[in-house]
Amino acid sequence: MVTQVFRVGVEAPSGEERRPQRRRGGLAGLVAAALLLTGAGLFGQGVFMTAKAELSQILLAQAWARAQNGETTPRPWGWADTWPVARISAPSLGEHAIVLAEAGGEALAFGPAHLAVSPHPGDPGTSIIAAHRDTHFAFLREVMPGDEIIIEHADGRRSVFQITHTQIVHAERSGIEPEGGPARLALVTCWPFGSLTSGPERYVVWAELVDEIS
Amino acid sequence: MTQSRSNDGSQGWLGVTIAIASFVASLFLWSDARADTIADMTPAPDGMVRLSEINEGALLLKTVDAGLYVPAPMVATDVALDISGPVVRATVTQRFENPSEAWVEGTYVFPLPDGSGVDRLRMQIGDRFIEGEIHERQEARRIYEEARAAGQRASLLEQERPNMFTTSVANIGPGETIIVQIEYQDVARLDDGSFELRVPLAITPRYIPQDVDFQLVSTGSARGSSAPDARRITPPLMLPVGEPDEGLRLPVTITTTLDAGFDLGPVASRYHATIVEHDGDGRARIRLADGPIPANRDFVLNWRPADETIPSAAIFTEEVDGQTYLLAQILPPAQLSDDVPRRPRETVFVIDNSGSMAGQSMQQARQALIFALERLEPTDRFNVIRFDNTMETVFPAPVDASEANIATALAFARGLDAEGGTEMLPALVEALRDLTPNDQSRVRQVVFLTDGAIGNEAQLFEAIDLGLGRSRLFPVGIGSAPNTYFMSRAARLGRGTFTHIGQVSEVAEEMEALFTALERPVMTNLDALFPADALSEIWPAPLPDLYYGEPVVMTARLNRPGGEMILEGETAGRTWRETLSLDNVDSASGIATLFGRNRIRAIEETRFQGASHQSVDAAVLQTALDFHLVSRLTSLVAVDVTPARPSDEQLAQTQVPNMIPEGWDFEAVMQDAPSAYQDASLDPSLIQRLRPGQDPNAPQLDENGVPLPATATPRELLMWVGALMMLIALIWLLMNRERRLW
Repeated sequence: MVTQVFRVGVEAPSGEERRPQRRRGGLAGLVAAALLLTGAGLFGQGVFMTAKAELSQILLAQAWARAQNGETTPRPWGWADTWPVARISAPSLGEHAIVLAEAGGEALAFGPAHLAVSPHPGDPGTSIIAAHRDTHFAFLREVMPGDEIIIEHADGRRSVFQITHTQIVHAERSGIEPEGGPARLALVTCWPFGSLTSGPERYVVWAELVDEIS
Repeated sequence: MTQSRSNDGSQGWLGVTIAIASFVASLFLWSDARADTIADMTPAPDGMVRLSEINEGALLLKTVDAGLYVPAPMVATDVALDISGPVVRATVTQRFENPSEAWVEGTYVFPLPDGSGVDRLRMQIGDRFIEGEIHERQEARRIYEEARAAGQRASLLEQERPNMFTTSVANIGPGETIIVQIEYQDVARLDDGSFELRVPLAITPRYIPQDVDFQLVSTGSARGSSAPDARRITPPLMLPVGEPDEGLRLPVTITTTLDAGFDLGPVASRYHATIVEHDGDGRARIRLADGPIPANRDFVLNWRPADETIPSAAIFTEEVDGQTYLLAQILPPAQLSDDVPRRPRETVFVIDNSGSMAGQSMQQARQALIFALERLEPTDRFNVIRFDNTMETVFPAPVDASEANIATALAFARGLDAEGGTEMLPALVEALRDLTPNDQSRVRQVVFLTDGAIGNEAQLFEAIDLGLGRSRLFPVGIGSAPNTYFMSRAARLGRGTFTHIGQVSEVAEEMEALFTALERPVMTNLDALFPADALSEIWPAPLPDLYYGEPVVMTARLNRPGGEMILEGETAGRTWRETLSLDNVDSASGIATLFGRNRIRAIEETRFQGASHQSVDAAVLQTALDFHLVSRLTSLVAVDVTPARPSDEQLAQTQVPNMIPEGWDFEAVMQDAPSAYQDASLDPSLIQRLRPGQDPNAPQLDENGVPLPATATPRELLMWVGALMMLIALIWLLMNRERRLW
């Protein structure tokens, strides 16, 4: 039935009337091709970011091994502007990642970054570690007060932190004061989780040092 | 045909695109809509407090946890009260110590009694003296920020809530002492012929216990157990019996000078032993009998006139900038003799039975109404109106208080249940509808029983102002937390009084007091007459009626001192008139402040009579600046007034006392304090949590904390948009291809 209806329609117009139709078709094809390419490009970029985040952790693992062997700034690849400083893990969720030094570069693209303005994790004061909510710190959504967060240092020491509470703050007015106070961790990621756009809010998971294992 | 079909095709394509686009858009919205805020209100940890939990004057030290503070140990408090008539000038001086080895930042918080106004703040921090100056709110903030940027010590006092002020103090050195002195104006409450002044000293529990046991520091907590004096820092848990055997946890000294303005009868403190020295002429000095008292109970002072039957007027003046400010206090006879006839009245009772009244409140309101109905006399007329989101009147118009009518109303009252919304306006308008506006033989009263859980206050105030006529409005606040702002303002506009019933047990007592007032309007049509061209302004205007047991405090600004004032009023059908000489009146401080405060209050109320926001704001601002009052629109900004030190002289700590600016008196808290509270200190683990301020010479710390990096990638967005574009392109290509086949 349907094909018949179509056929009736196609038979009616003359060749002259078809011409502009075909031209339009060609133009549309061009636009569609451009759309396809751009779309593929954007998609590829997204995939690339995912890959960068995942794959870099493999390279970072090697650099981390070098750090454990005593190298002070083991760059994971020649042109890298960052290096591993610690390894963070959440045993209850089976999550882990290599923490990078945030030295003004692109560290966040590859892993959680330890902000240089804050003390080293485990030292007195509030150590701030930030990571993307959709990759390395996606697990922050699942953590609960009471959960343990373990920081492994290059010298083999392990600092055990326990999550005390969570908080939502404005990025520009975080209220996080790195100096002073007991040894604490502030794990920072974007809020809300699952949103596609980035906003000014940050999710902060607070943890306090409970144990040191050497 | 083709044309139309091709259009159909592209329309279809457009449709698909729009559908996909809206789907994606909804995804965005959906993910943002999910961004509900996680409840962040966990109870404050051991020994720490939030700003909202403060119920006493406290110096709060910032901690590394944003929004959480540790109260600095308070080592001494002195309260000096200067009472002139009903006007109380309170000077509270408190000494705090920085318990830590670091420079810290503090916030001084002082909650005030309702209706009082702070007009002075002075501080001594280390060797610096700081005095607050009044400025427009934004201007004050600008001055403060400039001073801070320039590295100077500065401080800003702002009105946080109408009854709470905060001021930040930066750069308190290790172990430094901070002395804060604030002055505020208050009015003693006249109740049943006796004046009562309450100085809040008791520390109301500041934690709202939920499911957590707050017996923190002294018991199980691992962190707290290491601090034997940890209880010092958790004052809310301090019971009177818990005071240390020797010395006091928080010694308070109180000295009072009283100038009552009338011959004094008994003067007594309700809870504390005091020594009262009468100096004659209605003057007395009151001091504590047994030295400093613990801060575990309010200080309440009562005094009454020697002769309670004669209405008397007391007058005080204050000269400020060539103007004379006058305070006249009109004291009605506290006991009426029997020959004063009871005036018949027409009373309309309005009872709120909306859902918010459910439970205790409804029970109280019902009992209050029943009590009121049973007190009616056969000569009275009455009606009862109830409202929720509907309204019902028991009688179509006010009826005689015959036994049958009262029985009908009682039956109605007993059957009332709380339900529905709160539509107060129609009931109020109905209650104010006066069928016999010129009836001089009766007084018309509207008794309004409600919890005031309403949002359209402005509308109601307007209705009261327009419809009042000869009626008088007596709101009765029901429940533990009625909307007192609404009630007291409604009472002022309605020229009646506001009664608060907090518990069922208070119903009889409070309603009895209200009815005594209702039955005996002591003085109406009150007016004060001054010689021509002497009077500049008088507040409140017009003067409210005087009810039984209630004083009227009148403030006026005069162009010149001296002359005389005539007070006129009507009492029980007779005209009362008293001429008072202003030539030899006593002077008292704080009257100008009180005048300013009354003026601001009156200006704010013109809002309900149609005054524009701009004109109200401008007038309030000007008055607040003129009278140095902290208000909605003005703040005190603290300026360093330490006298300049000669450059060739080495400054040593010991020189500090010599450098106290003239007129500053911190003596009371500087006396050598017994060692029992000299070593007040904090739990070491809390000290560790203090947010380090900075050496004044170092650059300022960023108030906002560390700015956080962006931690969201456009990864998902890119992938979504990319996939969407490819999908659209593919659909398009596919459709074009099909078309070519046709």
